[in-house]
Amino acid sequence: MTDTSIQLEGITLHFPKQRNIFGIVADFFKKKERKFTALSGIDLEIKQGEVIGIIGRNGSGKSTLLRVISGIYPPDEGEVYAAGDISLLAGLGTGFSAHQTGRENALLYGSILGHGEMEMRSKLEEIIDFSELGSFIDEPLRTYSAGMKARLGLAVASAINPNILLIDEVLGVGDPNFREKSKKKILDMVKGASTVVIVSHSFGLMTDICDRVVLLDHGKIVTQGDPQDSIKAYYDLEG
Amino acid sequence: MMQENEGASLVLRQIGVKSNSLLAPFHTLTEIRKNRFLVRNLVRREVRARYRNAALGYAWTVLEPALLASVYWFLFIMLSGNPDKMYAVWVLIGVIVWGCFSKSLNAATNSLTRNVRTMHLVYFPRSIFPVSGVGANLVVTLMSCMVIIPIIYIYDLPVTLHLLWVPIGVFMAGFMALGFGMMMAPLNCVQRDVQHLIRFITRAGFFVSPVMWTAEMAMERGAWGEAALWNPMVLPITMVRHGLEGKMVELPSAVILSSVVVAIAIYVVGTIVFSKYERGAVKYL
Repeated sequence: MTDTSIQLEGITLHFPKQRNIFGIVADFFKKKERKFTALSGIDLEIKQGEVIGIIGRNGSGKSTLLRVISGIYPPDEGEVYAAGDISLLAGLGTGFSAHQTGRENALLYGSILGHGEMEMRSKLEEIIDFSELGSFIDEPLRTYSAGMKARLGLAVASAINPNILLIDEVLGVGDPNFREKSKKKILDMVKGASTVVIVSHSFGLMTDICDRVVLLDHGKIVTQGDPQDSIKAYYDLEG
Repeated sequence: MMQENEGASLVLRQIGVKSNSLLAPFHTLTEIRKNRFLVRNLVRREVRARYRNAALGYAWTVLEPALLASVYWFLFIMLSGNPDKMYAVWVLIGVIVWGCFSKSLNAATNSLTRNVRTMHLVYFPRSIFPVSGVGANLVVTLMSCMVIIPIIYIYDLPVTLHLLWVPIGVFMAGFMALGFGMMMAPLNCVQRDVQHLIRFITRAGFFVSPVMWTAEMAMERGAWGEAALWNPMVLPITMVRHGLEGKMVELPSAVILSSVVVAIAIYVVGTIVFSKYERGAVKYL
């Protein structure tokens, strides 16, 4: 039993650049590999029960960092440790199939998010209730509006209680009414999970719920600490 | 998959550690078993999407090979004339089994590049992508195989236990495609040339595999014909044909043995290559 929930040690991540045949030949003679460094030397320790925000400009490495924590990208250098099961809440409704019903899609999406069959079947009614889709749940997904798809996605994604919850900009889907409900649901999830990492541009929310905010720029941690201070540093950076 | 017991046993574990690549042939099987609900759902999504909005729906699984076979049959009569009465059936079987192999191989090769979005948003063992791509084609092929029921009736073929060779042959074709496709999928992320190359190979392979010809024809043609038998696709296609005829697979035992060994070797190498390079390859997407 430790009280560290996530530990990042010197995480560096490069992305290779796509090359055509001329590029490959040219690089071979120049003897260097062209790559883009998305994260460099990130050290971060997150305690259990902490709610951490990550802010930064577009392309500063926020989403990449979440992907490293969830195991999508293996780091080139450094090590990632985590305690308990991790769930990344991003791009709600990944893998939805337009030709299957809402119910089938709920099961499909649930399984993509890593849930077993028993678990999904037992939660299905609760998910359908929350999505407020009513009789539409047995219609094919292509008849759904964008908001309805988002509602179904959130309903499935939020039916889980992971130890570590990573949230990447998923707030604010659906009509205003549902948006309130979804925000409340996500806040409930934040309370239920032992550790939360949020990437968002809504600084108001960050100040409200985060214990600590990390500011990233060009793949490096600029500052971390009190939300107010980090947000101020962000505006200073914007200049 | 199931929720871990909460609180008590939260131990720090390293994320993204690589298991020994040499064990990949076994790990892949474990991953399939652990994620069988996911595989089932992905296969269903694929199959549904393929026959969506079609009035004839799943009937196309039979119609497509049947129409293709009739064209090849016509072509063959034009070229050589007067084949035996079963020839049309053998071509149909060839088209179905070869189709299973070539579609599965293309599906597995493109499985990573086609699922970029999913891969960027959730993590699960990536071998699930090629496996479910091949799985979908196996399901479709087994549906196509329903066509043997009327064939047995029309040609008055015996119904024996040898019919079990039909699904076994289909599985063997899919199994080889899986191994080969898993070898190619990471490479395809880095350079898409691979998918064009594979598409060419599946088209050219059509002619050197017993689709329009049979193993019996090859054996009558001397040295070149016998050389053609060493193609590992001869075994699965012949298996299905002979099974339908109600007999054991009649091929030289050296050919059978080598085909089985090659199939297993392809799977072993494929899963090892996949597990070794899949992680790096994903960064290219």
